Amino acid sequence: MTPALEVRDLRFSYPDGSEALRGVDLRVAEGECIGLIGPNGAGKSTILLHLNGILPEFGGRREPGSSAVLVFGEPVSPANLASIRRTVGLLFQDPDDQLFCPTVFEDVAFGPRQFGLNEAEVRQVVARSLAMVGLAGLETRAPHRLSGGEKRRVCLAGVLACEPRVLVLDEPTSNLDPRGRRELKALLAKIPATKIIATHDLELVVELCSRAVVLDGGKIVAEGPPADLLSDEPLMLAHGLERPHILQHHHPH
Amino acid sequence: MRGDLIDRYSRSDSPVHRWPAALKLAAALATVIVTVVLPAGRWSAYLAIALFLTGIAAASRIPLRFILRRLITLEPLALGIAGLAIFQPGGGKIFATMVAKTTLCLLTMILLSNTTPFSALLDVMKRARVPAILVSTLALMYRYLFVLADEAQRMRRARASRTFRPGRWWTWHALATVIGQLFVRSTERAERIYAAMTARGWS
Amino acid sequence: MGEERRSLPPTSTNTHIPDGFLDAKTLAVTAGLAAVGVTTAVRLAQAQLPPRRVPLLGVTAAFVFAAQMVNFPVAGGTSGHLLGGTLAAVLLGPSGAVLVMTAVLTLQSLIFADGGVLALGANIFNMGMVSGVGGYYVYRGVRLLGAYGSVAAVPVAAWCGTVMAAIATAGELSLSGVVPWSVGVLAMAGVHMVMGVGEALITTLVVLAISRTRSEILADEAGGLPSRGMGETVVFGLVISLGLGMFVSPLASTWPDGLKTVAATLGFLERAVTTPLVPSLIPNYVLPGIASPAWATALAGGIGTTAIFLLVLGVARLLVPRRRPDGGPASPSP
Repeated sequence: MTPALEVRDLRFSYPDGSEALRGVDLRVAEGECIGLIGPNGAGKSTILLHLNGILPEFGGRREPGSSAVLVFGEPVSPANLASIRRTVGLLFQDPDDQLFCPTVFEDVAFGPRQFGLNEAEVRQVVARSLAMVGLAGLETRAPHRLSGGEKRRVCLAGVLACEPRVLVLDEPTSNLDPRGRRELKALLAKIPATKIIATHDLELVVELCSRAVVLDGGKIVAEGPPADLLSDEPLMLAHGLERPHILQHHHPH
Repeated sequence: MRGDLIDRYSRSDSPVHRWPAALKLAAALATVIVTVVLPAGRWSAYLAIALFLTGIAAASRIPLRFILRRLITLEPLALGIAGLAIFQPGGGKIFATMVAKTTLCLLTMILLSNTTPFSALLDVMKRARVPAILVSTLALMYRYLFVLADEAQRMRRARASRTFRPGRWWTWHALATVIGQLFVRSTERAERIYAAMTARGWS
Repeated sequence: MGEERRSLPPTSTNTHIPDGFLDAKTLAVTAGLAAVGVTTAVRLAQAQLPPRRVPLLGVTAAFVFAAQMVNFPVAGGTSGHLLGGTLAAVLLGPSGAVLVMTAVLTLQSLIFADGGVLALGANIFNMGMVSGVGGYYVYRGVRLLGAYGSVAAVPVAAWCGTVMAAIATAGELSLSGVVPWSVGVLAMAGVHMVMGVGEALITTLVVLAISRTRSEILADEAGGLPSRGMGETVVFGLVISLGLGMFVSPLASTWPDGLKTVAATLGFLERAVTTPLVPSLIPNYVLPGIASPAWATALAGGIGTTAIFLLVLGVARLLVPRRRPDGGPASPSP
């Protein structure tokens, strides 16, 4: 069964030397929900940006060799970026970077329009996506007047409108108030796509993900069920993390 | 939110608000053109236009105080330049004409901007085949004005909290540094926007 | 406090001409010049600007807009403001500056009622082209003067940009018969020679701040981007000199007092008219045979402008590279 995502021996470094990847191997099966965790600078965002081909196009050095990123068996290369981006949807960390259109409708419609849908289809997709995130009726609102949680959900709607099979999320719960966080978590749980979530929100990983992957210094240092991995206190502390509260009294089997 | 100050009422509801944006833009332009082209001293014509605009203002349900406040804010500049007109024979009449015309045009634009969301104006421009690069620049600019203004204020406050030396030079230096950093942040944000655009298929 | 009242447009160094000041012919002429300039800038940007820089235009426009609202304390409780045309040009090149200033001015006039809608052409010409593009070429020119050149280039260019824009404004006001030339030049240009020092200072400090953290941005503009063709220089140069020529040169001579009195006494045209550039087919900007002076003037201005427009457009077509063969970057749909 072709894995949804496969990363083979990925090596990469930025021009200023920050956040290098020193050989990352990862396999994600379709329908899985992976939580990617690790200290700042470990390379989480860097990996995510490779999954839809933004890197290495954007600069930085990909070491030649056996490095490869495959999406449903297809290697990511400059030739097939358009189709990769229909398959892999990326939710960036800062909604203000992603919400660049004058109205909510325009923004959610951006992806479908790029992919060539006609206006009637676009309207349908936008309505569906906004309904999915619980923001139906906000079509004419201007982005700068939305709350943080609403902005994040509009961004998610914009990504969902592209109907990706794989959803990649960079710190989805950052800067959300508790209600916003709860709503987003419930939303993510409902979405059937394969999910990769890079996050500091360790509780989210326990609650949503079937597998946790710990990244440190550009390499994967541990992988396994969240409940087990995250209650391994020495492991957590060794990699700039800690045992989340909801696992405080959990004993690994 | 602070960004609402100028076109705060652009998304309210009233008969005027419901008119199509293209119509309002055309009407506003026509009003301005007629006002400008009228010869000096045609007071009855100016009055007629003023009455027309007053009617629109009433129908738009925008609070009078807001309109007046905007007018008062904007007049001084016009008065300043118009004041230079006095230094010539017949200058008094020219001055009065300038003030009248400018006020009428200001009122027109205040009404337009408060009955039409900017995004609607952008749509009109797109349909009028304004070059895409200009429309997208306008759209992105409008979108990021507020983000930038907030950033700028945060930076200034942070600076002020760490500045103990009063004095003009330091203020200039601090402000200029803030502006410089704002530009650097802007370029970095522009890169991220490009990434977000290409992530959703733009090329 | 300055930053709380963001609704206030900058006042003291503001050269945004409102509607109701310039007369029909001046509006038409400046609109034509601006149209040519903006069209050229659009074509150049489409041909030369790599796609990843397109968002930078919008963000820079927001930045210039925001920067224009920052109050810099000057003597005696007044404050100065950044105009930004030359800064935009130093950072983005002449075409980028024109597009950025056009966007800023359009937003200001439509939404903020700061600067007239019909006067957009004049404001774009003054601030986008004279201050921006003109300032850019001053910048490049001064840089060629060796070591001192590279240090002085930015402040000199910023100062020149501000002053030239003010002179153009005074010329336009005078051509419209609103403000006599001598008064206008003294007031506008004079004030801006002082304010220009502030602009020079701020622009320089900003460029310095950028060069300290991200010098590659400046290096990009100086050499990294596709080299600027001669065509661009010629077209922009033509537009600017035409405009300045029209507004400034014939007005350099002071009005003989006698003539003014005679004109007033005999009730000649209320507006003083000059310019040798309009073909004598249309004497004194009034088309013979048309009754209303206002319309006749406007029409004459329109015809003159169209002729100039076509001429410069023809030159532009010849010299400026066409859109890239792959159709150029498709701008985002917002």
